[in-house]
Amino acid sequence: MLRFVVRRLLLLIPILFGVSVLLFFWVRALPGSPAESLLGERATPALVAAYKERFGLNEPIWRQYVTYMETTVADRDLGISVATHRQVTDEIRQRFPATVELALAAMLFSVSLGIPLGFIAAKRYGGPIDHGSLFLSLIGISVPIFVLAILLKYIFAVRLGWLPSVGRIDLLIFDAKHPTNFYVLDAILTRDWSTLWDVLKHLILPAVALGSIPLAIIARITRSAVLDVQNEDYVRTARAKGMSPGIVDRRHVLRNALLPVTTVIGLQTGLLLSGAILTETVFAYPGMGSWLRDAIFNRDYPVLQGGILFLALVFVLVNLVVDVAYAVINPRIRYSG
Amino acid sequence: MSAAELEIAEIQLEQSTGGLWNEAWYRLTHNVGAIIGAVLVSVFVIFALGAQWIAPSHPSDDVHLVAGILQPQPPSTEHLLGLDLQGRDVFSRIVYGARYSLLIGVVSVGIGLSIGLLLGAFAGYFGRWPGSLVMRLMDIMLAIPGLLFAIAIVAMLGPGLWQVMIAVGVVNIPIFARLLRGSVIAQKENEYVLAARVVGVPRRKILFSHILPNSISPVIVAGTLAMATAIIDVAGLGFLGLGPQDPSTPEWGTMLTDANEYLAAAPYLAIIPCLAIVISVLGFNLIGDGLREALDPKLRGRA
Repeated sequence: MLRFVVRRLLLLIPILFGVSVLLFFWVRALPGSPAESLLGERATPALVAAYKERFGLNEPIWRQYVTYMETTVADRDLGISVATHRQVTDEIRQRFPATVELALAAMLFSVSLGIPLGFIAAKRYGGPIDHGSLFLSLIGISVPIFVLAILLKYIFAVRLGWLPSVGRIDLLIFDAKHPTNFYVLDAILTRDWSTLWDVLKHLILPAVALGSIPLAIIARITRSAVLDVQNEDYVRTARAKGMSPGIVDRRHVLRNALLPVTTVIGLQTGLLLSGAILTETVFAYPGMGSWLRDAIFNRDYPVLQGGILFLALVFVLVNLVVDVAYAVINPRIRYSG
Repeated sequence: MSAAELEIAEIQLEQSTGGLWNEAWYRLTHNVGAIIGAVLVSVFVIFALGAQWIAPSHPSDDVHLVAGILQPQPPSTEHLLGLDLQGRDVFSRIVYGARYSLLIGVVSVGIGLSIGLLLGAFAGYFGRWPGSLVMRLMDIMLAIPGLLFAIAIVAMLGPGLWQVMIAVGVVNIPIFARLLRGSVIAQKENEYVLAARVVGVPRRKILFSHILPNSISPVIVAGTLAMATAIIDVAGLGFLGLGPQDPSTPEWGTMLTDANEYLAAAPYLAIIPCLAIVISVLGFNLIGDGLREALDPKLRGRA
């Protein structure tokens, strides 16, 4: 097990190196030199030259890469946002928890609904619930996240007025404390129940929109996995020896059927990050996604570079965790090396 | 089963199934989902190709002034799907939008498919270091979430129609490369490849005329499904404001950007492009699913 984890960690090194090189050259391929974009309209040729000298932009390219990696990795310095003049790392500290909160809520929604739905569909194979769930999952993968987000916002926020349509917390709540920046956690920690209710209300629509595609996929995979497992010899044996159907389902069918489901849940993290950009834009939710979107329009290159590097790192690490978790629950992977 | 029935079943088994493609076609045309998908996609393609004859007016015409002032108007008998914020006929814009979506989908899937196929076939056939070098490169590309990667490319090239197509195409490259590599590796071990080698067929010819045609069916399925995701991705980039910069361009995603701001005043302006996107994506997904079932060798002979 330890060998497996170590090997996976070693495999990460070339990938992260590749991503960092890719991003390094990407920044240099962006229109307008970094000097000009940072100095903005005040850029005189003399100023640009001085700037280039100061930030080492005249050094050979490999030297620049080494310097860049030194500041990024050793000092954890991602530069300063052109738009807000704040440290990019500070902004990430504030915005990343928002996106994680949203993604976790979306995942909770899709898993807690998708697995039972898929299971029931397989149990009632060919029945109306089965057809209904297949139809729903088809719709689920055919409706783009932002389309669903707009429709949900229209129905539940604009038309019915049940839920707030924008933001993460009511603008009139000034006194809420945010020690961790995970607003749900913060509200629970500070026992501020009215704020908790407000934060949850803001979370529902974006989470449902973001969770819809994983929900569809998880339901589909659970259904086909349960159908496969149900016909295995060990399930028949368990039934034959008189085990109650409920225990057979729980101990033998569902447990084994959840193996492929966990892989799919892991694969969804990338989609969640991508989807968060769109969902956050629709609901003006102050997370990483809407931040990066604004950065493109402001030509805020330090934010783009730092934000994308950070998210790529998170994505790679999440995939690692998923792989390890998969090895823990599936011995076949662990031993085949 | 009676003896007679058994006999009939046996006779049916012996009959030639008419080859993979004939059989796949039979199964495809007997799949209700695939037929619905084909109808939806046909409507979409007819809209795209015949836009100038179907649309009642030009998509960027804003001459439909209502009582002298410019304002959105809900659907009416005169304007089937209403007028947008600039007084343009929404139905015409949806019809012309189909042209953009089709063009974008075909070009971006084309980019991803052709480069991905070449790289994947290369990596699968020339294992060892050249192959794994290519695949490590693909892994690096896959390490960045798709939409984020596309956004990074658009940030580099600048917003616009072509840039968005290239971005979505590039994001698709590693997906196709991986798919084809897996398929080629599976085929490489087959006996007919060994036979071709024994009789002295050159490597390049083995790859292009023996292995590729046999590894192509998962690619056809993935290509159809990729059309669906390409339409979603491009509309998503358009919605984020990275698509065509001329606001009169009737791209569905771009149409949604404005509409999102006026959801309370003119909800139909958002709902109509939403439906157009969903219907076309649904069409491609249904055909893709149908093709997957039709081409799956495990299901052969069970028509």
